[in-house]
Amino acid sequence: MKQNNMVAMILAGGRGSRLHDLTNKVAKPAVSYGGKYRIVDFPLSNCANSGIDVVGVLTQYESVLLNSYVAAGRRWGLDAKGSGVYVLPPREKADANLDVYRGTADAISQNIDFIDTYSPEYLLVLSGDHIYKMNYSKMLDYHKEQGADATIAVIEVPMREASRFGIMNTNEDGSIYEFEEKPEHPKSNLASMGIYIFDWKQLRKLLVADMKDSESSHDFGKDIIPTLLNDGKKLFAYKYKGYWKDVGTIDSLWEANMDLLDKKNELDLSDPTWKIYTEDVTTLPHYVGADADIKRAFITQGCVIEGEVKNSVLFTGAKVGAGAKVIDSVLMPGVEVEAGAKVTRALVADGVRIGENAVVGSADSEHIELVAKRVKGVE
Amino acid sequence: MAKAFGIVNASGKHIWVEGLETYRTIGAFSFLGRYRVVDFPISNFSNSDIEQIKVFVRRKPRSLVDHLGTGRHYSINSKRGKLQVLFSENSADNDIYNTDIAAFHENMECIERMHEQYVIITPNYMVFAQNFDTLLQAHVDSEADITLLYHTVDNAKEAFLNCDLLNLNKQKGVLSIEKNRGTAKNRNIFMDTYVMKKELFIELVKKAKKISSMYTLAQIVSKECEELDIRGVAHRGYLASITDFKSYYDANLSLIDSKTAASLFNEEWPIYTRTNNSSPTQYFEDANVKYSVVSNGCLIEGTLENSVIGRGCVIKKGAVVKNSVILPGALIGEDVHIENQVVDKRAKIIHAKEVISPSEKPGYVRREDTL
Repeated sequence: MKQNNMVAMILAGGRGSRLHDLTNKVAKPAVSYGGKYRIVDFPLSNCANSGIDVVGVLTQYESVLLNSYVAAGRRWGLDAKGSGVYVLPPREKADANLDVYRGTADAISQNIDFIDTYSPEYLLVLSGDHIYKMNYSKMLDYHKEQGADATIAVIEVPMREASRFGIMNTNEDGSIYEFEEKPEHPKSNLASMGIYIFDWKQLRKLLVADMKDSESSHDFGKDIIPTLLNDGKKLFAYKYKGYWKDVGTIDSLWEANMDLLDKKNELDLSDPTWKIYTEDVTTLPHYVGADADIKRAFITQGCVIEGEVKNSVLFTGAKVGAGAKVIDSVLMPGVEVEAGAKVTRALVADGVRIGENAVVGSADSEHIELVAKRVKGVE
Repeated sequence: MAKAFGIVNASGKHIWVEGLETYRTIGAFSFLGRYRVVDFPISNFSNSDIEQIKVFVRRKPRSLVDHLGTGRHYSINSKRGKLQVLFSENSADNDIYNTDIAAFHENMECIERMHEQYVIITPNYMVFAQNFDTLLQAHVDSEADITLLYHTVDNAKEAFLNCDLLNLNKQKGVLSIEKNRGTAKNRNIFMDTYVMKKELFIELVKKAKKISSMYTLAQIVSKECEELDIRGVAHRGYLASITDFKSYYDANLSLIDSKTAASLFNEEWPIYTRTNNSSPTQYFEDANVKYSVVSNGCLIEGTLENSVIGRGCVIKKGAVVKNSVILPGALIGEDVHIENQVVDKRAKIIHAKEVISPSEKPGYVRREDTL
């Protein structure tokens, strides 16, 4: 396969603590989404579909499952000669102490030796916990056309929400003159997506200096990007149009799943030219019983549905018993809703069983109820 | 422990599945939505720790070879194991020469090269789960020359009509192999599955070739019944033999029933297949689905009842699909009513608003056809 001289590094160390019990045992990028996927499938599939052959995944928090999951590079077709997905947790080195990754930039700095073995011209830095489809090779083309030193992907957000994001202030030609992290009075609505393309040689020098800087927080947004701007480097904003979601909370994870129920949803997971690849599970197709009632739902293989499912997303192997009702809810892999139980506006975590006739969640709750423990049945 | 290599055999000339077989060999038929028929014999081998597998393709190899790929999806060790396709080029002059014996003969070198002492041969047109390791052990323990697998049925008058029967004595010795002519209901259906030593297999192939160029493996084994110690072992659990159009249709629909499905599928015995990376299936506001098996990647707005739906099918608003088997990528248009049909891959039924066949004689819609 043709090499495009760009190595991708996915930052996947985050805990995602606002996802509460969902991330007690697994890192946020490994959280399930959309019936059969994990969040990290999105950047990995985007890499594979964009012709990137070498992907490093920087893991840290609760990384056992994530490490073994991403190490099987063939799921995303990243197993040809010269291609691979490499798991890079912090490690002890001969000339330095074992250190956790102190920030996003430090995670890259600690792996300079890894990147150097491929001597890439460009480095793509991605976040492992966003849901979107994007062709990074087009972004690279733009980076080259502009003769940029760094290119940052941005998405237009509603102006009233702009103060929640890292905002890029740009000139008419798309060049960035200022970066503001969560500005109180935003001047633009172009939010950083945490996707960067750098000229590797230049970034390398900067990272080496940053490692030694005791004042630095070793973060791309807070330290590296401002330094580049101060040095008068050419930074460009690459405008992305389409579905993009950072699922930081239970409510937003639920909402991102519900987005899939729209007929013309922007993410379009069935697009044959840009498939999202994931683990291949060995199960039967899903079974719909004689008394089942399914309306507006997203259902995957291995599910068994005997009851009612409305406005809900069911993950691999979820079961809904006879007379049970699942409404406005998300059932993660292996969830069992037993006969007569009722689940409303809830997100039920992996493998949780809701006992017979139990009632979980309510239609008028402000927030989505996270059900992470077994719910006993009602006699 | 005794070790065997496996051969997945192709159907002979006496078997023809109308419609579907025009395009591919039976092993490559889509089955129960997401499988192909050949996934069952290969998974049986893989689960039995038999990792040297040869698949004979008698005709139309494209679809099957495409599905098998490197065989990685069958959980075969990628270094020690191997999935090899045996082609036969005997049909060029006349199809009568295109027999399994001819193919084995032509590929004799790679059979002789095998290190395993035993060979297990199983067909690509039957759906069942069987632990071949247990079967091999039973064969070794019995000290028989050949062990044949059979299934006792009580509907041989109307089903299994193109299959062979085993005529057994009380000690399960095989007296002869005969055609099922539908004359009695209780019969031992031969599952075209053989266990024997590799050396004996090679000897039989060479012998058959000398007797007649049209001889099949079943024929030479039948002929040897008096000379050799050939015994039958009974199979239990689900069996479907896909040997004509109706049996294909019936087998698919029979597995919607969860009790029947449980007699074929269980967690200890996974059936592997090739992933297509389809997204989950999407149900819309007007969907009305009862008693069906649905694969991934479908968009469903219509009504489904007692049907098996393959990957990536589109069922439009107002469409009604009853008692049908819809193969992957098919489209059933708005307000189209179909009943008792097998709709082949990527067919589109848009203009014909009613395609209904009698239940005892289901209809067939051709691959990539537009109606």
